[in-house]
Amino acid sequence: MIPLLKVKNLSVKYGVIPALQDISIEVKTGQIVSLIGANGAGKTTTLKTIMGILKPVNGSIVYRDEDITRMPTPQRVRKEICLVPEGRGIFNRLTVRENLFLGAYHRSDEQEINSDLEKSYSLFPRLKERENQIAGTLSGGEQQMLAIGRGLMSRPKLMLLDEPSLGLAPLVVRELYELIQEILKQGVTILLVEQNATMAIRVSNYVYLIETGNVKLEGIPKEIESLEDVRKVYLGG
Amino acid sequence: MFSLGYVLQQTMNGVILGCIYSLLALGMTVVYGILRLINFAHGALITLGAFFVYFVSISYGFPFIAGIFLVIGFGSLMGLVLDIVAYRKLRGGPEVALLITSIGFYTFIENFLKLIVSPQPYAFKTPDYLNILYRTQLLTFRSIDLFIIVSSIAIMIAFSLFIKKSKMGIAMRATAENLEVANMMGIEINKVISVAFVLGSAIAAFTGFFWGAKYGQISYDMGFLTGVKAFVAVVVGGVGSVPGAMLGGFILGVAEILSVALLPTRFAEYRDGIVFAILILVLLIKPSGIMGVKEEIRV
Amino acid sequence: MNQKRIIPEFWFIIGGCLLFLIIFIFSQTLNRYLIHIIVLMGIYSIATVSLNLTNGYTGLFSLGHAAFMAIGAYTSTLLAFPLHLRESYELPLLPSFLAGADGAMPFIIALIVGGLFAALSAVIIGAPVLRLRGHYLSVASLGFMVIVTTFAKTLKGITRGSMGINAIPSYTNIYWTYLWLLIAIYVVWRIVHSRFGRAMMAIRDDETASQVLGIFPMKYKLMSFVVGAFFAGVAGGLFAHFTKAIRPFEFSFTMTFQIVIMLIVGGMGTMSGPLVGTFSLMAFRYALKPVEEHLKVYGFIELVYAALLIIIMLWKPEGIMGKRQLKR
Repeated sequence: MIPLLKVKNLSVKYGVIPALQDISIEVKTGQIVSLIGANGAGKTTTLKTIMGILKPVNGSIVYRDEDITRMPTPQRVRKEICLVPEGRGIFNRLTVRENLFLGAYHRSDEQEINSDLEKSYSLFPRLKERENQIAGTLSGGEQQMLAIGRGLMSRPKLMLLDEPSLGLAPLVVRELYELIQEILKQGVTILLVEQNATMAIRVSNYVYLIETGNVKLEGIPKEIESLEDVRKVYLGG
Repeated sequence: MFSLGYVLQQTMNGVILGCIYSLLALGMTVVYGILRLINFAHGALITLGAFFVYFVSISYGFPFIAGIFLVIGFGSLMGLVLDIVAYRKLRGGPEVALLITSIGFYTFIENFLKLIVSPQPYAFKTPDYLNILYRTQLLTFRSIDLFIIVSSIAIMIAFSLFIKKSKMGIAMRATAENLEVANMMGIEINKVISVAFVLGSAIAAFTGFFWGAKYGQISYDMGFLTGVKAFVAVVVGGVGSVPGAMLGGFILGVAEILSVALLPTRFAEYRDGIVFAILILVLLIKPSGIMGVKEEIRV
Repeated sequence: MNQKRIIPEFWFIIGGCLLFLIIFIFSQTLNRYLIHIIVLMGIYSIATVSLNLTNGYTGLFSLGHAAFMAIGAYTSTLLAFPLHLRESYELPLLPSFLAGADGAMPFIIALIVGGLFAALSAVIIGAPVLRLRGHYLSVASLGFMVIVTTFAKTLKGITRGSMGINAIPSYTNIYWTYLWLLIAIYVVWRIVHSRFGRAMMAIRDDETASQVLGIFPMKYKLMSFVVGAFFAGVAGGLFAHFTKAIRPFEFSFTMTFQIVIMLIVGGMGTMSGPLVGTFSLMAFRYALKPVEEHLKVYGFIELVYAALLIIIMLWKPEGIMGKRQLKR
């Protein structure tokens, strides 16, 4: 099966400081793939580069057999990739509905957009209740759902999720991950970045461990979990 | 001390000046909201708009209505030019750079006009149908006054609806709040900014016509102080807030006129000083303005 | 160790002597018009060098510099105006404790007092305004300038309002001007190359970070603002006693703009930048002046200045003498 996303030898620099060095990642359709690693390892950088916000100095990004390495971000969104940024990235001063609506900005099929809006509401009933509320007044968990819901509005085939569990209570995180699996069932492939390695490994099909801009380890969850070093450093022993 | 009629009359004048400030403030606040740029060149558009209408309608005799439509187009074009030629290149750089460049543009346009049209002020004659005098018990006004107030309100309503309901309007608000995230979501930032410039500039050019028609005189330097005062209105009302801009504009216009009208005549020259005293006061007490949101400094 | 520390001052003294030698030669050989230009260059240089301290080194983009020049100009004029002319020019008399026997202060004292007045107003206006961020600071300082010129127009008893003050004795000469310029450069140089200067530059680059390092921004911002204002006031005083007449509208935005553009073109935040900018742009102006007058195209020079500013901002924002900064 051809991978949905294939990142090869990607190198990214912040000015003169190298952030990613020769990273290669593959995501197959219908999978959840996780990037785990410590803060500053380069996970968010990877997602941003895949999204086109950062430009690599080397390497390639191939999505559905198309080289998108130099493609501008709005076009990538149109190709049905979406990014749910770290820290939610919702527009606090806009309403819930407006936030969701913006997710479908590049789409012009009004009927479908409205039906998708209803679909989002059925997935996140709490958002429907707060439809006209200002997004900044939502709780952390609700904001995360809003961010994901907004991402879904662009009808993505690939969703890049950056640290969705950040700052959320464990109960909420559990609910969140159930949701993520639900989304997977609806046909969205997910590339997940997490510091909370335990949850991430539990739901993934494949895991990459990133350390200082390199892929240190990769493998299926069982293998990764069994490694003692990984357990000590990332999984709390 | 002052007759009711006098106070009402001056309040009306204040409202008209307020209309002009509000319209200008609308354009400035959206651009500032997105780019954090105080567009000094905005003031130049007033002057350009006024002279454009002057030449098209008064010199060459086109009907005024045509002149008005054309000036809107002209203003839009100038706005677009400024955006593409200059501001786009400077985006993402130090904020000061944008400020300085906009000052440069203002000065360029002002002196350009000075060269072409001469340093002397021009008399702006409006067609007779705008000069009809209405006399009531308390107020005397001309049809131009009515025209300004009505069209200003119409523009403000249209603008507010656009910002609140339209797709582009929501995108503009999102971009103003967080440009990076808006970009991440595939909103074409360049397009959004261009729309902001075009809208603001078109309105500003139109305002130039108001100014000339109401005050009867236009000169190459009429835009500077008015433009800066419009920014004061933006600050008073709350930076980045559309209703705030309109509110600030009216408050400033009425305050300016009434302070001159109600204080002894020798204080008339304090007019400009009063406007800036209001600015400094607002910046000291509530820098985010009446309807503004407190801006966090990102570390 | 001690030996190393006297060297910079030593160079200043040598440079100063050389400068005065050159000026002496100029004053004996060049015609009046050229001397006139050279003096004006000197006066504007003082303004630009002082603005550089606030704008270039501390990152406070003040647009109200002309206000300090105005304060210095008016103050020194009123103090040094000859007694016998005061009545006829409707200027108030000085109380006897301020004036000397001839009812007027000596020029040099009047200049310094003018500068101090400007510095004082900088303290007063600085406390509220310097708290503001970036653009707000610029517009507030612009507002301050408008307020000052408004007062100049309205306090007719003291300033003669919009008509301004004429027949100001021409006390300024080339020596005084360049002496003050040397002093200004020296003071700015000393501040910049001291821990004050380092603190100011830290504030310029990242105010929040500098606070984390234990720097109280207000103290340093105020310091650079006040020192800048002082020299602007002196420049204003020199200006008044050179052009022999001052009016409120002269100290408007146009003047600030001229100084700002000379500073930017030359290079903000460098020692030689303001000098290079001022001398080159003024030379340019006077070279083009005959063209402007001949073709009656008034405003042409300003136009070119503005175009130059735009071009510099788009392609070489660090100015002629500046070094390109790392992109954020």
